[in-house]
Amino acid sequence: MRGLLPVLLLLGQAAPAPAPEDGKLPKSVEALFQEKDKDGKLILGDTDRAYLKKLPPHTLDLIAKDAEALTLGGARHLKVILTLDLSSQAAAIVFSDNCILCHVDPESQKKIHLFSADPKASQSNELLNLKSFLSDVHFRRGLSCAGCHGGSPEKDVMTSDIAARWPKADVRHSDRTWIPEFCARCHADPSFMRGFNPSLPTDQLSKYKESRHGVLLLQEKDSKAAQCVSCHGVHGIRGPKSRQSKVHPQAIPETCGHCHADAAYMAGYKKDDGTPLPTNQLEQFKQSVHGKALLEKGDLGAPACNSCHGNHAAMPPKVSAVSQVCRTCHSQNGTFFDGSKHKQVFEEHHWPECEKCHGKHDIAKATDMLISDAPDGLCGSCHAQNAKDNPECNATARYFRSTLLGLAATRQTLRPEAEDLAERGLDADPVLASIEELSEAIVQTRSRVHTFDRGGFDQGAKLGREAAAKTETLVSAARNEQHYRRNGLLVSIGLMSFLAVVMGLKIRELGRRRRAERDRRSP
Amino acid sequence: MTAPVVESSKPERRSVLNWFLGAGILGWAVSVLYPVLRYLRPLSETGAGAPLKLTADEMATLGKSHFVIARAGTRKVIVFEAAGELRALDAKCTHEGCTVQFVPGDSLLWCACHNGKFDLDGRVLSGPPPRPLTKWVATREGNDVVLAMEKA
Amino acid sequence: MTGAPHTEASPPVGDRLYRWLDARFGVGKLVQWAEHKEVPVGGHSMVWYYLGGTTLFFFTVQLVSGVLLLMYYQAGEATSYESIRFITTKVPFGWLVRSIHCWSAHLMILSLVVHMFSTLILKAYRKPRELTWLTGFFLFAIALGFGFSGYLLPWNELSFFATAVGTDSVKSVPVVGQWLLEVMRGGPDVTINTLYRFFALHVVILPLVMVGVLAGHLIFIQVQGMASGMAHQRPDRPGLRFFPDFLVRDLLLWLVCLIVLAVLVYLLPYGPGIPGVEWELGRKANPLAPAYPGIKPEWYFLWVYQLLKEFPPHLFGMEGPQAALLVVTVLMGIWALVPWLDRRASKGQPSPMFTDLAIAAIIFMAYLTLKAWDIGGKGAPGKLPDPRSTAWTCAWITLGLASAIAVLRLLAYRQRWMFLSGAALLQVVLNGVFGVDYLIAGAIAVAFAIGGVVLSSRQTPRQLEVPR
Repeated sequence: MRGLLPVLLLLGQAAPAPAPEDGKLPKSVEALFQEKDKDGKLILGDTDRAYLKKLPPHTLDLIAKDAEALTLGGARHLKVILTLDLSSQAAAIVFSDNCILCHVDPESQKKIHLFSADPKASQSNELLNLKSFLSDVHFRRGLSCAGCHGGSPEKDVMTSDIAARWPKADVRHSDRTWIPEFCARCHADPSFMRGFNPSLPTDQLSKYKESRHGVLLLQEKDSKAAQCVSCHGVHGIRGPKSRQSKVHPQAIPETCGHCHADAAYMAGYKKDDGTPLPTNQLEQFKQSVHGKALLEKGDLGAPACNSCHGNHAAMPPKVSAVSQVCRTCHSQNGTFFDGSKHKQVFEEHHWPECEKCHGKHDIAKATDMLISDAPDGLCGSCHAQNAKDNPECNATARYFRSTLLGLAATRQTLRPEAEDLAERGLDADPVLASIEELSEAIVQTRSRVHTFDRGGFDQGAKLGREAAAKTETLVSAARNEQHYRRNGLLVSIGLMSFLAVVMGLKIRELGRRRRAERDRRSP
Repeated sequence: MTAPVVESSKPERRSVLNWFLGAGILGWAVSVLYPVLRYLRPLSETGAGAPLKLTADEMATLGKSHFVIARAGTRKVIVFEAAGELRALDAKCTHEGCTVQFVPGDSLLWCACHNGKFDLDGRVLSGPPPRPLTKWVATREGNDVVLAMEKA
Repeated sequence: MTGAPHTEASPPVGDRLYRWLDARFGVGKLVQWAEHKEVPVGGHSMVWYYLGGTTLFFFTVQLVSGVLLLMYYQAGEATSYESIRFITTKVPFGWLVRSIHCWSAHLMILSLVVHMFSTLILKAYRKPRELTWLTGFFLFAIALGFGFSGYLLPWNELSFFATAVGTDSVKSVPVVGQWLLEVMRGGPDVTINTLYRFFALHVVILPLVMVGVLAGHLIFIQVQGMASGMAHQRPDRPGLRFFPDFLVRDLLLWLVCLIVLAVLVYLLPYGPGIPGVEWELGRKANPLAPAYPGIKPEWYFLWVYQLLKEFPPHLFGMEGPQAALLVVTVLMGIWALVPWLDRRASKGQPSPMFTDLAIAAIIFMAYLTLKAWDIGGKGAPGKLPDPRSTAWTCAWITLGLASAIAVLRLLAYRQRWMFLSGAALLQVVLNGVFGVDYLIAGAIAVAFAIGGVVLSSRQTPRQLEVPR
């Protein structure tokens, strides 16, 4: 019977010990609180006591039984588990699973077999991280140690049951070829997996066998090749939706790069044409527009390694297939390209469509400067060789570039105008809306470059020119309004200043009159 | 008898000054009253609380192609007819902000930039968009179509 | 003999009208009174007599522009912000009316504050004009109420958060604090209900109260005449006739203010770009969004806002904000009661302590206001300004300002009584330059002030230098 469930474990318990009276801990547990470490300090303290008191009675019973049966070896052992601050449900599972209990005991386990909360600190096996194990997807679904390794968790000694499932040491240590079949025992069995996650695929092994990693490992017995554990881990496996998972989209570049970016590790591996396999893909990817979108902007829609190379059937896409992969997102550009004259040319030359101009791992943000008919430019260098007697090609490239640069320049000058208008209190919203239309037209026009045809391109350029013209009209209308306001202000200031001057004169006149009156009264 | 202190030019100067004063006051009045009166004249378009309506051009496009991208202040709304009823969604794709299009044949909204697809309720069907499109409400009132944001 | 022969043609229209009214309403007496109304001349610059008028002018501008705005403004969740946007973008000259309303509000309060300080320094509040001062104090409070209530009406982010922060301090009032908060806000939080209440306040309640108190203030002035300078300051000269001499000058100044207003509206339609003096429409208020850092109330509230920040969470068994509010109330109380506290001025005797009180108030409020603006705090986007650094820079600026005032007083006016302003400056220097806690510095300053007052009261009046 595969997959021992914790329900079985709990059901397998004997009748619980009598509940502790008046909030006291069971005697066997209480005894642990007396233990001191080598410096004479008590190992367990008040926080531990408080935690234990909060546990439900049946869990406390488990602990008491474990302490009596010595599967809980001592205070240090208990302390390790208590520091994890488990929920009461997780605690119940842990304390009823003798595999976990034994392998967590720092006093009875060899370091190589010790699960600890901090392997670095306790200098134990890095693969046996207790904290990540408790969030492991298998553990959380009820598949504990025995599920993979075999044996019986309610027994307090290891028995030969384990050998029924877990390969012998010499098999395990000879190479890694046993791993894929081991995981596939469950994961390639649809009826078994249906009981846990009906929508999870079960074809990983068959895909893997066709992949380069699979061929290397299973046919050429090269244990350096990646297998299940290399990418998914072993005791801390999480689903790809979890940010902590090694196969989360944002973690995948580093997971693949662990080997593929290590020049020393990858030395000796060659491409089909005999040249050495490069190891700069990760670096290039991180600088690329896709890498930046995925890793810096957090756009999970951006491709990671597996989006183009596949998950378990990982192979570099064939030259003819590259552009199909790009089309899953860049479908419009693909459609334009298919209808263009470049399509036939590229097919004849067996060129990898999108990659030829845009690259693969180092795809930079495509700017208008990419379109260049200069002898060393993207278009010009290829046309010089393959379109020698067709000057139309370079002319078209020039046209594309100048049109796009023109539209971008117009937008560049119009935006600060809009901001200036807004600052002066004019209504800049229509202008900003029109600039947005211009931006969208520019995006459309850039996409239409892939038609490599003036007619197709102009359908977008026309919209761009119209939007630019409309924006300019709106801006000049706003400027007119601004001048109207300024002139109006000057006129009104002029009129009011005239009045002010006249009033000043009137005041002077009044002053003279008063003085004359005063002089008359007292000559 | 004291000699009369008469400055014959004074009264004339005073009346000239008074005349200028009157003119100045009139000028001031004009520069104050003109903006006020223009301000108070009722406008052809209704005020701020008026409901958002599709313009004549937009109505024409809606009639012809059964969908239109309309302006609502600083936002864009895509209004389309599906199963006989009028629907409206925010037209800005939630991925990188391109304007979506209506694809009646596939009953979906499509964003050309990275092939994002939304269903007619705005939910993401496939592609990189991370969030659904905000819903708007479009109602026919006589010959007009009125747009409003969906109440939370 | 009289001059030119008097024709028996019908008298001019003006004359006829006058005689018609006089026969019915006795306007003759009014005209007689008007002809004799005078503005005192001498003793100090005439400039100060105009400030009440400019405040009244700006208030009138507010009334007119406010009524015009009311024609298009619609208070409501979906319409407050939108209607103001409509006014500034679509209504002809709407931008002008709104900008005038915002500028004139600040200019009115500025004019009011200068008017208040000038009457304080010139001791126009002394007997028999105590009630003029008191009504003036209420007018000041009403004007601040106008500013605070009007600020929320555009229902944009800035005003929403400023109102939330501003009304929050009300709950520190003992006993009725929470009730007062909820009545002000129309609920426990700032919502559209708050706007409805503020709208009623701004457009009906405060205008009625203002007009009433203003009527009182003006009647007192008309009945009592304008205050002249102190006896020892005033030479014996006939005053300036109010009608038409002073009035014409007044009107001219109002015209100049209008021109200045027009220029400001054109050049700086959204204010001078100083935090607390800006009114760009920005984004519509979103009650669910978190407040953005650096939110500041309007400039005339900044000193209270900063003072609240200086208090610790608990002080002498009271909550910090309560203690701060108490301090502010006491200070305002002293301010309102100055005519009764200044017995020397009421007797016509020199009262340098109260002159110095005005300067002390300026120093006190200037330092707090500068600190509230985080001047010298080296703040940057994503980096909070450093309060120590702010206090240091503001202290030096205040010290410079105070020194300039002191030199002016000493040389131009021969004023030597400076214990109160000295105490205020002491607090500034202790807090800003030496890093002493603001309240402790304040306590030391108060002790210094009390010492100075006691010391100087022991001296006979003759020993005090008579100011010019």
